[in-house]
Amino acid sequence: MPSVSRRSALALGLGIPALMTLASCGNGSSGGDGAAAGEPQQGGTLTYLEPQTWTTLYPPAGGFYPNGGLINNLTDRLLYQNPETLALEPWIATALPEVNEDATEYTFTLREGASYSDGTPIDAENVVKNFDLYGIGDPERALTVSEAINNYDHGEVVDATTVKFFFSAPSPGFPQAVSTINSGLLSSATLDRSGEQFGPGNAADLIASGPFVVSAEEIGTQITLAVREDYDWAPASLGHEGRAYLDEIVYLVASESSVRVGTVTSNQAHIARQIDAPDEPQFEADGLVLYAAPTNGVNNSLSFRFRDPALEDIATRQALIAAIDRQAIVDTLFTANYPLATGALGAKALGYVDTSEHYVHDPALAATLLDEAGWVVGADGTRTKDGAPLTLTFNEALPQPRSREVVTLIQEQLAELGIDVQLLPGDQATQDAARAEPGEVQVYHSMVARSDYDVIKSQFSSDNRNALLNGHPDGTVGDEELDALFAQIASTPDEEGRAEASAAAQAHLAEQALILPLFEEPQVYGHVDAVQGFSTESVARPSFYDTWLAG
Amino acid sequence: MAYVRRRIGGALLVLVLAFIAAYVLLAALPGDAVLARYGNPDLGLTAAQLAEIRAAYGADRPQLVQFFETAGSFLRGDLGYSIQSGAAVSALLAEALPSTLTLAALGLVSAVVLAVVIAITATHPGLRGHRATRALRNLLRGLPPLMVSLPVFWIGIVLIQVFSFQLGLVPVLNAGPIESLILPVATLAIPIAAPLAQVLIRSIDEVLAQPFVSVARARGATNTWLLSRTVARNAVLPALTMAGLLFGELVGGAVVTEAVFGRMGVGQLTAQAVAARDTPVLLAVVVISTVVFVLINLVVDLLYPVLDARLRRSDAAAPTRRAAVAVR
Repeated sequence: MPSVSRRSALALGLGIPALMTLASCGNGSSGGDGAAAGEPQQGGTLTYLEPQTWTTLYPPAGGFYPNGGLINNLTDRLLYQNPETLALEPWIATALPEVNEDATEYTFTLREGASYSDGTPIDAENVVKNFDLYGIGDPERALTVSEAINNYDHGEVVDATTVKFFFSAPSPGFPQAVSTINSGLLSSATLDRSGEQFGPGNAADLIASGPFVVSAEEIGTQITLAVREDYDWAPASLGHEGRAYLDEIVYLVASESSVRVGTVTSNQAHIARQIDAPDEPQFEADGLVLYAAPTNGVNNSLSFRFRDPALEDIATRQALIAAIDRQAIVDTLFTANYPLATGALGAKALGYVDTSEHYVHDPALAATLLDEAGWVVGADGTRTKDGAPLTLTFNEALPQPRSREVVTLIQEQLAELGIDVQLLPGDQATQDAARAEPGEVQVYHSMVARSDYDVIKSQFSSDNRNALLNGHPDGTVGDEELDALFAQIASTPDEEGRAEASAAAQAHLAEQALILPLFEEPQVYGHVDAVQGFSTESVARPSFYDTWLAG
Repeated sequence: MAYVRRRIGGALLVLVLAFIAAYVLLAALPGDAVLARYGNPDLGLTAAQLAEIRAAYGADRPQLVQFFETAGSFLRGDLGYSIQSGAAVSALLAEALPSTLTLAALGLVSAVVLAVVIAITATHPGLRGHRATRALRNLLRGLPPLMVSLPVFWIGIVLIQVFSFQLGLVPVLNAGPIESLILPVATLAIPIAAPLAQVLIRSIDEVLAQPFVSVARARGATNTWLLSRTVARNAVLPALTMAGLLFGELVGGAVVTEAVFGRMGVGQLTAQAVAARDTPVLLAVVVISTVVFVLINLVVDLLYPVLDARLRRSDAAAPTRRAAVAVR
């Protein structure tokens, strides 16, 4: 075989996709809602594309987006968190709960008439059963405790429509916690199931009270939800009452991103989640809409593990902050939907404080700081101190957009200053194993979506995700003060006090140069303009109750 | 009979070795399925809570104990439960196998047809005559090397882009049972047809150069008669060997094809299980693939004497692939 044909095959391989991208971009003028909106219409089947298949419908484990996207449309919650204002509103509870002074007792009054799809009522006994499971978990059945519920002790039935929850310590985050998908209410029979029985193959047997019910399931590829005709207890601030507009929603798994994008842009499906930044321009064409929802939690950021010998010195951490050009990262890899972070939290998150003055790009300052910290440039260009090279291992945040590219770009930026950056290879299990082990990862790339003051504690406290590895497996804690600040956010009974505690923690993170927030991470959806009234809950999971199909 | 018994013994050995190798490799990686599911920061579990869950799954026991327990339940026919989803592995496979078998069978048949058409046309002596047909002949001979160098993944994407997104001929997702097979089968068939066609072209060329062909032609045989009656039969043996080995390619191709087209099947199951480090599912997939691979190659070996009289021996000596090649 002459070499010409191999080369032309290569040219073909590079050429065809490039041409197609050009072709699909070419006909676009400007995006936007071109089609007539008009009155909402009832009926129709919506097809929704997910990059991954769901793994469980047990609500406390619903944080994984494919799970949450289902749970949000299948279950109701005691309270509703308005995604615009992040304020809590009544839902299955008729009002916000009565709470005692130190936030250890909450009393909810339930609305009458709401029922599960098997006909059983949502009564006090059932609600207590829900939270007794979610607040404590059941390791025997492999059912985990909900991350959002802290210090839960037990629940009590006061009367048929009144429930009271008791906590061993103040738990001011509880009202918000009951509004999240992790607290989706399930029928009493469903709560008796084992962890395995919440998995694929069982979806149609799981009974909840939401606007849609599971009508069919094909393991690994598709799940169909059907409208519940007698649904009549939607939160008041939503667009309408009664049943949802759509008759059916088909969730399809399309893991390949070009397939997801092409299927929507060629009008073969209505809406897709996770449109990657490089694919966004394709949705600028007529008849297509891009929907970027903020995740209202801890920004996509780098956590500097300060107990590691390489990062012990605050000057070294400050040097990293000064050396990394965040603007270049956002400009090169992302779009306007990924705003540059101005603090640990997203700008719309509860308790947000602007700490951007601590995050200024200044390579000259970085070099000076490194010199002062005792890192001397060696023969091979890498800095060393006491014979140890300045080598930093970054994890690859697999669920986060373009983490590998972000780290690669940082690798180039830091190499100029004599810092050697390594990317930890491997799948999610490998990353998770290395994440908790001291010495494996020096810089941890991650984010958390949750719209409550507690989110910053979830991410950084040594009791929770421990992003800074402040707590080591041997039980020691490096920075007790930091942990105390987080504990205060989760235990101060009043909102003002929580906001203050959160601000103090954010200031500590910034002043001690413990993190470098990169950008506010959105969930990006792309849909055809026939899809009207699409919205997302407070951390950007799809809500289809108000969605309808035009034309 | 002794031959068949020996072959089955060998097959069992291969099976056991594959099982052990898969288990050891999966165990050697850092982290395991329970960690993959519950250690995910999305759940926010503390180290103590994680330890409780691990104990509930028995993942805290010594590796050797876990290995013998897994091996024992496999021997009893109990494939266990997926750790990622909790579903029974047998149920997952029952759902996935038919779809993959359809895809693989159609893919293989299309590949063989494609390969035979390319090989016969490219080697047809009638095409040597004119300039125009010679160009066609060269083009066809250039096709298999081109096809063999295209990655399955890329073929799938290009087929989808062209036939579904640009021309709108077939929907990709949510398509009917037949529509949903067209592009995946084509995707799978192209890279498998390529090596088959290469081997066929080569062996037809070799057979055509043999003296008996000249004799047959001298006695008035036409090109078509030659190809179909004598040459094809002689040239098909290496291609058959190749086809048996290509089953491995078929499995790999199914993983990619099913992932690209969002089809449920063993390939998709494997891809998802690998991402989740789902040991029970992966072990079951390894065992099933090994069984099928061994079976197919056994069938191929047993077919040699049927196709080639020179390999039929009255004594118990086994027909071997080496013998088949040597005769050729």
